[in-house]
Amino acid sequence: MPLIDTQHLFKIYKLGDVEVRALNDVSVSVERGEFVAVMGPSGSGKSTFMNILGCLDKPTSGKYILDGIDVTATDLSKLAGVRNRKIGFVFQGFNLIKRTTAVENVELPMIYNHTPMHLRREKAMEALKAVGLEKRAYHLPNQLSGGQQQRVAIARSLVCDAPIIFADEPTGNLDTKMSIEVMELFTRLNKEMGKTIILITHEPDIAEYAGRLIKFKDGQKISDERK
Amino acid sequence: MFDTLYSMFRLSLKAIAANKMRAALTSLGIVIGVAAVITMLAVGSGTQKSMAERFSRFGTNILYLRQPWDLDESISSPKDVTMTDVLAIRKLPGVEAAAPYINSGFEVKYGYTSTSLDVLATDTDIFKTYDWELESGRYFNEKEVDSYAQVMVLGATAAQTIFNDMDPLDRTVVLDDIPFKVIGLMKKNGQGGMGFDMDEGALIPYTTGKVKMNAGWNSSDRRALDRVIIRVKDFNTIEDTKLDIMNTVRNTHRIHPLAEDDFQLDDFASFVEEAKSASKTMGILLGVIGAVSLLVGGIGVMNIMLVSVTERTREIGIRMAIGATSADIRLQFLAEAVTLSCIGGLIGVVLGVGISLFVEAHSTSIPVQLSLFSIVLSVGFSAATGVFFGFYPAYKASKLTPIDALRYE
Repeated sequence: MPLIDTQHLFKIYKLGDVEVRALNDVSVSVERGEFVAVMGPSGSGKSTFMNILGCLDKPTSGKYILDGIDVTATDLSKLAGVRNRKIGFVFQGFNLIKRTTAVENVELPMIYNHTPMHLRREKAMEALKAVGLEKRAYHLPNQLSGGQQQRVAIARSLVCDAPIIFADEPTGNLDTKMSIEVMELFTRLNKEMGKTIILITHEPDIAEYAGRLIKFKDGQKISDERK
Repeated sequence: MFDTLYSMFRLSLKAIAANKMRAALTSLGIVIGVAAVITMLAVGSGTQKSMAERFSRFGTNILYLRQPWDLDESISSPKDVTMTDVLAIRKLPGVEAAAPYINSGFEVKYGYTSTSLDVLATDTDIFKTYDWELESGRYFNEKEVDSYAQVMVLGATAAQTIFNDMDPLDRTVVLDDIPFKVIGLMKKNGQGGMGFDMDEGALIPYTTGKVKMNAGWNSSDRRALDRVIIRVKDFNTIEDTKLDIMNTVRNTHRIHPLAEDDFQLDDFASFVEEAKSASKTMGILLGVIGAVSLLVGGIGVMNIMLVSVTERTREIGIRMAIGATSADIRLQFLAEAVTLSCIGGLIGVVLGVGISLFVEAHSTSIPVQLSLFSIVLSVGFSAATGVFFGFYPAYKASKLTPIDALRYE
């Protein structure tokens, strides 16, 4: 059984009389342990696709099964728990909470699944160690470089042992050196920890790190190649 | 559960700490409200307590006779309380003593010293009604009362003020241009009194006060006494004695059997009732003031929480993306509002207690009694304010969808 299985996803927005098909009959399945890059120009529907895969949004029609859970049949309000257990998010803008330290940012998802306090710190430090930032645990986000902030965000995505990491343009705000650092980290997480990684990017050399490349255009999947 | 709440609380403190100035200004309304309520409750219950103490020291055997303040207009020709009443009351078997009671303030002069003095014009029965004790000298006697003698018995504190450490006996002071010889000095009793405080005052014969100085409320009628103070022999039969007194006064006032009384007889219990109803009114007033200031403070909290929700929309999106439910978000903002208003409440308590203690230390005339109840009550109310006014912003935050919140710039 694939970890991610979507069948005939449609996402249709109505702007006045105009109907916009952000997703037009997309069916994709991803196996456990894959590293997938999703590419496409802006407006191609890749972000809409990611939001649906990330359980942040629901399709207008179609079916989405995530690790055996029928997401399309689940109420949006109940999806918080699914996101917490199954998915780690890494965003282009890092999306750390500014006034809390690195380790507290990493602890955040565990507050919402009611992990006991003493375990939270322990696991958060482990996750920071996995991204090589255990020495910066008590720094605030603005005391860290962009690459370091993104690594904190990656640690946060690891800490609940979710099988999937969704990374939405994770290198978009980083310079080349930091981008390489971050992408090597993703590769390691994929190879060593067996994380399934779905990466959105518009840079071909970033997409190179992935083992599979899906291209979107005008709300449709136009190619799907494994290396 | 405790873990989660603790985490929420810490998050709230962090969020508040991030905007210290704003938080301080927001909670100021609650600080002021709570401080005001605590201070006023402390003064209120202090006043009540000191009144109750005065009454009980006063003795339950004491009755007052006077013309009512709010005399019924149906009474055609109300008569003043006079010495005729006093003499009649004295003859009653249940009465120990009955004395005229005319209380006025006068300017007193001695040499170059000039001060105000609380003067009670009365007769010798006054020494049998109150438990006052002489320090030195003597009380005035009946002969002196009958002859309009210009003599006075002086209270301890007043003597100290006028004479410093000199012996006041046989010295002459001037009251309202009339010289008085000090013939007795009272021991300090520290009791205060109902209107008249012996320590701060002086006793003179009522004849002198009434005729030579026009003392009293009704200065046009030379016979009118402000009040008659009566001491009954036995508290157990006080009700019978009261009836006797009332019948006697109706007689001396020649009141028709079907007509209303033109006088009023108060006892300890009726004073307590009066004080209680006064403090109840005050309590309602304080409650209203407290409620209004907490309302204003609460609106401030709500306002700032709405701003906070808008400012932190993106943060809400992040939290939702990593697994916060709507309920978690709601709880977090509610916790923040409650924390904010509780901090305000606690500062208010500190301030209120501080003010009360300051008043207690620096004022002898304002009695203060702090109560744990008022502190718990006002902190409880400020927490409730936080819940009430924090709910809408928290609800608004929880209704955001993660995708919209994350897109918010």
